[in-house]
Amino acid sequence: MTIDASHASIALASAETKSGRTRRFAVHAVMILLSFLSIFPIYWMIVTSLRPENEIFSTSLWPSNPSLENYVFVLTRIPMIGMLINTTVVSAATALLQVVTGLFAAYALVRWRMRLSGVIHGLIALSWLVPFQVTMIPNYVLASRLGLLDTLTGLIVPNAAHAFAILLLYNAMRSFPTEILEAARIDGARSWKILWQIVVPNMGAPIASLSIIAFISAWNEYFWPLLLSRKPENSVVQIGLQMFMTQEGNLWGPLMAAAALASLPILVIYLILQRHVIESFMKSGIR
Amino acid sequence: MTDIQADLAGPLSVARVPAAARQRTTFTVQPWLYLAPALCLLMMWTYVPLVEAFQLSFYQWNMLPTAPQRYVGLTNYQRLFALPEMRAALWNTLFYILGLFPMSVIIPLFVAIWTQDLEGRARTIYRALIFVPMIVAPVVAAILWRWLLNEDQGLITLGLETIGLGRIGFLTDPKYALATLTWITGWKLIGFSTLLFSAANAGINPSYIEAARIDGASRWGIIRDIRLPLLSPTILLLSMMTILFGAQWSFAYINVLTNGGPLKSTTNIFYLLWEYGFQTMSAGWSSAAGMIAFAGFAVIAAGCMWLTKRFAVYDN
Repeated sequence: MTIDASHASIALASAETKSGRTRRFAVHAVMILLSFLSIFPIYWMIVTSLRPENEIFSTSLWPSNPSLENYVFVLTRIPMIGMLINTTVVSAATALLQVVTGLFAAYALVRWRMRLSGVIHGLIALSWLVPFQVTMIPNYVLASRLGLLDTLTGLIVPNAAHAFAILLLYNAMRSFPTEILEAARIDGARSWKILWQIVVPNMGAPIASLSIIAFISAWNEYFWPLLLSRKPENSVVQIGLQMFMTQEGNLWGPLMAAAALASLPILVIYLILQRHVIESFMKSGIR
Repeated sequence: MTDIQADLAGPLSVARVPAAARQRTTFTVQPWLYLAPALCLLMMWTYVPLVEAFQLSFYQWNMLPTAPQRYVGLTNYQRLFALPEMRAALWNTLFYILGLFPMSVIIPLFVAIWTQDLEGRARTIYRALIFVPMIVAPVVAAILWRWLLNEDQGLITLGLETIGLGRIGFLTDPKYALATLTWITGWKLIGFSTLLFSAANAGINPSYIEAARIDGASRWGIIRDIRLPLLSPTILLLSMMTILFGAQWSFAYINVLTNGGPLKSTTNIFYLLWEYGFQTMSAGWSSAAGMIAFAGFAVIAAGCMWLTKRFAVYDN
């Protein structure tokens, strides 16, 4: 349909002509529709979470007497604050470790020419294609043998290195001018010093991108915590949310308040770093 | 776990070491020390478990640490192939993937081309808004749509009733449940895919378009002969991601919203693995089904890479 319409209005049409104006209107219409579709469910979550109980099924676009009672209910019913702290710890640690292990591995592949570089690179890239559901049973057995069930460490360690992180930093580091590395090496600098004093300070942008993506994906991670967690107070917010839904699935107000609390940190990060977040995801991928 | 690099500069490539460099290599310990943390973790949590899962697929085991693992050879595989459940799950996997295509590739592609002359403030605002679903947690997305589609008081249900379409059991009717879950999975992707296509589209050298225009090419002619070929790397990349990861993306929605029901109508292969593994506690079956899925997707991945190499047009 889009194509027929665009065919009718030739590309050269400027804003002044009638067909140009129609087209411009249609372009905005498409984008407004898509934006509405993207944002309305989130808007509706916030509105519902602010409605008092007797108004919960109202369809007005804004609650007539907004109240925070749903939030109070959630905070008293489940250990929401504790879970938010847990999730922050897990996400920050995961992001930090992915950056560090990624930097090391990428540095090794860029700085040294090894016989096995190709094989290692392939091994790292291919680990991406192994669906987690395929390795989940051995992973679970290993985690329980190491005593990691129901712990935050257990949520962090298996994600401490990721093919995505390594390849992202590898690609960024490869474009780093080798002359500088060579010069530093000739000056007798140790590889450790070169990494931290020359390479890392010049990798700000990719490191920031990776941290943003890793933090957000760790925050949203659901499957591994689902396997590992037992008690809500030892778990992350996604699991708490699911437990809350299973128990109180039809208390729509509190459920929406819980969902809003669980997404709040990510939405705040997005509001502040909006351009960076979009760019990081677009440059480097889907997680 | 369900991610792929969208390095738009080119397809995934394995580093090539120049022959000259290879010859003067002597063994040094240092690079291995730097590689150790990442490689150990990947070995420990991906490759060794993969081999163990392969072994487990020939055993019968109920996942209790004290229970014995009994070798059963290929029985797990034979049973699985005979199970109608497995066949249904594979079909559903295919439906999820096919259903995602309009939202992850086709609509975004045309929206991106259609809206390419948007500029300035409006563009920035649209960008910011349509990206949002991408960063919403799957569990939150599931809950949001569960509320909007709720059969008694959901806004969409009320809306449908007002226009006289009656109530639809979006999540409870086997006819609609899979489509609903596919929609939610796609909702998270549609804006992001549009942004990726827009970026790729904006990167097309305008002199090609100009030249074609001077030659009298129509708008559709330009799209067909210049834009689509030059967008082919992005089209192939997003198609590949949809095929390889689409079914995995829907896992959270299945588990939160339908548990594979009603009547198994939303169970895909990954949910089946999970059910066998952690609900019926048959590790052998789960591993065997996992191996089948892994092998299948590996073949598809290889096929996709080949297609990308063969058909993607790069503007060098």
